[in-house]
Amino acid sequence: MNCAFRITDRLLEAVHRDLSRPHAFAYERVGHLHCRVGVQAERIVILAEEYRPVADADYLPSDEAGAVIGPAAIRTVLQNAYRRRDAVFHVHRHDHHGVPSFSRLDARENARCVPDFWKTSPAMPHGALVLSFDSATGRVWCPATRSCTDLRDITCIGAQVRRLGGFYG
Amino acid sequence: MADRFSRQRFLGTDFDRLAADTEVGIVGLCGGGSHVAQQLAHIGVGRFRLFDPDKADETNTGRMVGLSAKDTEYKPLKTDVIARRILEINPAAEVATYPVPWQQASEAMKLCHTVFGCVDRYQPRDELERFCRRYLVPYIDVGMDVHGEGFPYRIAGQVIVSLPGRPCLRCFGFITDERLQEEARRYGDVGGRPQVVWPNGVLASTAVGAFIQLIAPWSEDAPPLYTEYDGNRFRLFPSHRLAPLSHHTCPHYPLADDLGDVNWSSGSEAA
Repeated sequence: MNCAFRITDRLLEAVHRDLSRPHAFAYERVGHLHCRVGVQAERIVILAEEYRPVADADYLPSDEAGAVIGPAAIRTVLQNAYRRRDAVFHVHRHDHHGVPSFSRLDARENARCVPDFWKTSPAMPHGALVLSFDSATGRVWCPATRSCTDLRDITCIGAQVRRLGGFYG
Repeated sequence: MADRFSRQRFLGTDFDRLAADTEVGIVGLCGGGSHVAQQLAHIGVGRFRLFDPDKADETNTGRMVGLSAKDTEYKPLKTDVIARRILEINPAAEVATYPVPWQQASEAMKLCHTVFGCVDRYQPRDELERFCRRYLVPYIDVGMDVHGEGFPYRIAGQVIVSLPGRPCLRCFGFITDERLQEEARRYGDVGGRPQVVWPNGVLASTAVGAFIQLIAPWSEDAPPLYTEYDGNRFRLFPSHRLAPLSHHTCPHYPLADDLGDVNWSSGSEAA
């Protein structure tokens, strides 16, 4: 399965703006991108449509991770996915330039949490995206095979067509 | 060491790899589209989706790059002529052809990084732009016309870069309901519209330049979203319609709730 991800420059700016805000105790912020999907044979394009930040009160203190979100945040994102029947991507950022990669903790938590989105939006692919200041890396879980794969192409569409990551990045 | 792309290094040290991994759709492969395809092949674009239901005949030799007199003896599909031309230039390119109205093969355009619309009429332009907005695909419209019933004639054309959230063909006043209705009223009128090779070449080159500036900017100047062409004065200029729309958000294609496939069930089938 060849999966591409697209986001407009204005939406990506909004994501970065939110993830840049300091939190009272969490070291980093997370959010969720609600996305639509286009299918072409064995290829899928995932189209980011709306960003929903996690509310300040929904972070939990943690010594292990930069950000841990509580059940209220998870319930909110599952409810949104149920209402919209769309694809959901968990987003956070590593504060550096260049191609980011998921930490071991990220990978473990993504594998545990992302499939939960199928509980309320079972037909859609879901995934996780890690941004840097100028790039991105992502993984997507596909409902038919229940397997995950790297996003092959992550592109920001705006005044430029910027390849943030994937095969080329 | 000099290689095939050594003279275009200013586009970025990694441009060749970027271009090779870039996918473009070209709809309409005669006057404008054949030039566009040829230039993109030269510059190293790696993946092409070609759409045109027509066969080439001798009336096309006046403006269709890549079409020879010998070709017209057997009236080949335009998609085949252009695919052959692309592969002659860049044998590594991946070329998929769709010799049908693009609407019947539109799925193939969903993952394109840019679609070039080189069609004659307003209706298909409107539909193409609508499709591209739905899948967040930049759409570049290329077109020209010869105006007048007799001497002196006037040649005019345009290149419009339509980007998600930015002004669309309707925002620019290029597509209007009145134009669509007038076109529908005259649909079926016999006779092809006048076309000549050189304005197509000028406009296709401008469109390719705008595309490269989108994917690999070589200067700080963004391409004008609407470039007009005055073929009588041999002048290209940013349209006067741009200024009032400089901070405009397109109301015709809102970005929320209007993206992707309408039939969600297909997501589960393919994924």
